[in-house]
Amino acid sequence: MPKNSKGRDIAEIIPDKCIGCQLCLGECPVNAITMEGGVAKIDPEKCIGCGKCVDVCPASSILFEKPRKKKTVAAEQKAPSISEYKGVAVFIEVNNGVAADVSWELMGKGRELADKLNVPVIGFLLGYKVASIAKEAIYHGCDVVYTMDDPLFQVYISKMYGNALTQLCNQVKPEIFLIGATPLGRDLSSIIATKLKTGLTADCTGLDINPEDRLLMMTRPTFGGNIMATILCRNHRPQMSTVRPKVMKMPKRDPGRQGEIRAVKYEGPAEVVPRIIETIPFDTDGAVDITRSPVLVVLGKGACDTKYFPMLEEFANLLGGTIACSRPLVEAGLLPYLRQVGQTGKTVAPKLYIGIGVSGAVQHQVGMQGSERVIAINTDPHAPLVQIADYAIIGDYLKIVPELIKGLKERAPALLKEGVQQ
Amino acid sequence: MHIVCCIKQVPDTTQVKIDPVTNTLVRAGVESICNPYDIVGVEAAVKLTERYGGRVTVITMGPPQAESALRDCLAIGAHKAILLSDRAFAGADTLATSYTLASAIKKLSTEDPVEIVICGKQAIDGDTAQTGPGIATRLDFNQLTYVSEIINLDLDKKVIRVRREIEGASQIIEANLPVLLTVELQLGAPRYASLPNLIKALRQDIPVWGVKEIGADPDMVGLKGSPTSVKSIFAPPPRKGGPVFDTSDSLENAITTFLDTLFQKDASILAEVLNPDSKG
Amino acid sequence: MNESFDVAIVGAGPAGISAACILADAGIKTIVFERGEYPGSKNMSGGVLYGHNLRQILPNFDQLGCPVERNIIESRIWYLSKEGGYTIGYRDNIFTQERKYNVFTVGRAKFDRWFAEQARKKGALVVPGTVVVDFLRDKNGKVAGVVTNRADGEVPASVVLLADGVNSPLAAKTGFRAELKPEHVALAVKEVIELPAEVIEQRFSVSPSDGVTTEVLGEITGGMDGVAIIYTNKNSISISVGANLADFIRTKIKPYELIEAYKQHPLVAPLIAGGKPIEYTAHWLAEGGYYTIPQVYGDGYLIAGDSAMLFNALHREGSNLAMASGKMAAETIIEALKRGDTSRKSLSIYAEKLSDSFVMKDMKKYRNFPAFLYNTHQLFNELPQVAQFAAREMLTVNGISKKQKQKEIVAEIRKKIGLFKLARIIWRGWRSVK
Repeated sequence: MPKNSKGRDIAEIIPDKCIGCQLCLGECPVNAITMEGGVAKIDPEKCIGCGKCVDVCPASSILFEKPRKKKTVAAEQKAPSISEYKGVAVFIEVNNGVAADVSWELMGKGRELADKLNVPVIGFLLGYKVASIAKEAIYHGCDVVYTMDDPLFQVYISKMYGNALTQLCNQVKPEIFLIGATPLGRDLSSIIATKLKTGLTADCTGLDINPEDRLLMMTRPTFGGNIMATILCRNHRPQMSTVRPKVMKMPKRDPGRQGEIRAVKYEGPAEVVPRIIETIPFDTDGAVDITRSPVLVVLGKGACDTKYFPMLEEFANLLGGTIACSRPLVEAGLLPYLRQVGQTGKTVAPKLYIGIGVSGAVQHQVGMQGSERVIAINTDPHAPLVQIADYAIIGDYLKIVPELIKGLKERAPALLKEGVQQ
Repeated sequence: MHIVCCIKQVPDTTQVKIDPVTNTLVRAGVESICNPYDIVGVEAAVKLTERYGGRVTVITMGPPQAESALRDCLAIGAHKAILLSDRAFAGADTLATSYTLASAIKKLSTEDPVEIVICGKQAIDGDTAQTGPGIATRLDFNQLTYVSEIINLDLDKKVIRVRREIEGASQIIEANLPVLLTVELQLGAPRYASLPNLIKALRQDIPVWGVKEIGADPDMVGLKGSPTSVKSIFAPPPRKGGPVFDTSDSLENAITTFLDTLFQKDASILAEVLNPDSKG
Repeated sequence: MNESFDVAIVGAGPAGISAACILADAGIKTIVFERGEYPGSKNMSGGVLYGHNLRQILPNFDQLGCPVERNIIESRIWYLSKEGGYTIGYRDNIFTQERKYNVFTVGRAKFDRWFAEQARKKGALVVPGTVVVDFLRDKNGKVAGVVTNRADGEVPASVVLLADGVNSPLAAKTGFRAELKPEHVALAVKEVIELPAEVIEQRFSVSPSDGVTTEVLGEITGGMDGVAIIYTNKNSISISVGANLADFIRTKIKPYELIEAYKQHPLVAPLIAGGKPIEYTAHWLAEGGYYTIPQVYGDGYLIAGDSAMLFNALHREGSNLAMASGKMAAETIIEALKRGDTSRKSLSIYAEKLSDSFVMKDMKKYRNFPAFLYNTHQLFNELPQVAQFAAREMLTVNGISKKQKQKEIVAEIRKKIGLFKLARIIWRGWRSVK
């Protein structure tokens, strides 16, 4: 398409084809056409690209393409202006018929953000027979829940959930969209962000609104948590963010709260791939969730002799805690991945974190720096964990732990019985 | 069968030292390595081609030094490596990164159709696990994340069956090719390269592709193609170390002093921990 | 079997890479094996290099982007007692002018890597992350290549150069270097302490590109036969303290305790105040001296650098001996390959070259020095104490006559060491470095 100096698409005469009938001269509303050497000529700077000359030319000698309205395929739609996006949306993740805690944690945070922006909190719920969950969403702070309640969504399928939520974002146009950074959430969020061509910031530990420009300020740790970065998504909507479970506080549940539930029909194709062949729940350790334990006794490379695990378990039980570990023990096959604390394991924030033989390398610290009190037991006074611990005991854990067990029992007689039952 | 593996060169965070004054990474002499999850993916890809035939191409978007991470992958058996490097790629967030990688994969597909793409589940330098699914979406490939085992590949039916790790369970799941996998470390550690393969990898020519070569839209790569930007960075309030109790003189004394201090300073936390019923 | 090379070098440190550069320049097909993930990852030294010797390998190293930390314009020697110390230093402008880069500091991780890259550019193949575990031998038992720890890891070569450092397992395997006894090596621990460049420049009174080295003796090695250093880098200070390994075993002093005490010494602490430790490493030093140097040549192989115990503790010289011996080994190999003869006899020229050079001349000169230090523990205990007493006496103005002070000092010497013994120490010390 030829353009003039202003960048406007213009019409152009093909001299060989022109028969010199001069019909186009009369049609042109801006007198851009003149005759030269028996054929018509369009002044590119005058031409406004209206296409009227093309309509009257009998010889098809004018080169011009009228800008056609593009088909409304979601990705190619002319992006609505940013101001059309309003509301804070939260994805409600459902596992086995129960809403994931993180969804409510984000609902609470969403409520806080929405109140600052003076906009509604919106829930996006996909599932089958999830009416009660929709209600729970409202009890936890949601104003409007958009529900696609359909057997199609009973099982999580990446492409379908991605399509469905993209559709909801395009329909509802929230300015902010929060998703829990669970395995499902992390599988899903980037699909939506890519389809919507918007920004996604993962594993945020802080979310806030900048009152000057109403932008979402997303704070996340980088380089193992030593630098916190505040990220903005200025010109694209929705501003998407994922947040790990237990980072935001669980809001109060108010069963008297009112809100709206709107059913939405899924407009995308039913996806049947991938096909789940079998689901194998984790065996005896399936009950262990180190993120829920108020006390963690975390074993590192310096305490990996399995012969002494029973003694360490006794110590943990005494405090009502759970055994967890750092990455090397999982890699050596001594403990299952479920118990791994760290950047590539779980993020924990217990009341009491007791690290035994844990050096506390950066990527471990990321997973536990939210702990309220940190006690380090180590032979190396230079170990990073020792440097940041609220209390550090230097020496051989094999001597220290029994001594601690003895001392604790003396001071807390209740522990003389079977330890604290959790 | 053509498999493409996407890798990233990252600082070896097990060796990274932190400057507590400026709270930045001290990287003098710290080796950059191929992201452990990514090279596990390359090992799996090489094993697949050893079993079923085919080729493995490794690509990375990065600065010139990322070439050494590519060589590590060539050494364990990848057949070809391409470095995507261009000043225009700099400053990319995950949207721009997945665009760049997907463009390169599309380009590779024109000569040799790509049926499987393998990425690590996440990069250890604090990345987000977003790039893999982003590439899958752009290529319209089926997506299988957190893959811990490749159970079977049926090249006639064009179906791959894998084990995935999800919340609280493992899943046996199957998808039609073309497919993108993001992989867990359990998939299998990379082999220790044989000397001939290492020497070959050290000598191999690695082409460098820029914006033009991958046919990318310059507005969609690098900083230009990144919806997110960093507003500011700051050091988190550092956890300050507390008292240290040395048991080398007297174990008993040290522990007694420690417990005294603990029970005195943190009585409330102890109360919560030891009496769970009376949760505050 | 892999393709064969003319020369296989074990170790990509200063000795090995110097040889690789000379060989590659002469068009010799060379492969270098380095067990670290990258050249330099396993190397540690105080950090001092010598321009003269580097120029023998790379005449224009300063234009090739050599990562120099600071150009040393002043050398200091300190003799410390617990609370104080004697200091002497020599600074000269000539070291900023025509003798620039006479001595300069580097960070080994950066430098070794850059140095290996120069060898690679010249055509040597540098293979990292690979350990040489044995020699290949031909049917006559002559060394004919190396065996590495990778699958299909055998590489035939006409000559093998051992440059794999002080605790080279291969030198022991050749049977020509006796197992190192603890008293032949020193264990050193080093901390790199970060400080802003301006602070360093102020504390040492130097300009942005210049620096100071300090060698330290005295009580700071916990009574053990040892030495400490303070070297300036661009944005950090390297401090290190080391002692004879046999002494460590005997006294059971923990290395990190030694360096903590060193950092707190009243002369050291102000120099590193406010700095933050960013690196902590430990290493062996080949301090055995002349009598521990093994047979440096054999059928099909040569030994260079620390692997051959070429280390001059008194003058803190090791890297220059490594580079020089690496160069001489390379030259020997070039001549031998031309002759088509890599037998013991042919390669023995290497020993001659070494003897004719400062390398063996210096090693021989100081051959008795390591033993002198090791056997004279008074140097690290009583002598610094007496020296401290003497200085305090003399420098304190308290109305006592100088003659009286002299008497008290002599009495102290008598008490702590004995006049005769002191004289013997001085005499033996002089003899050992003559």
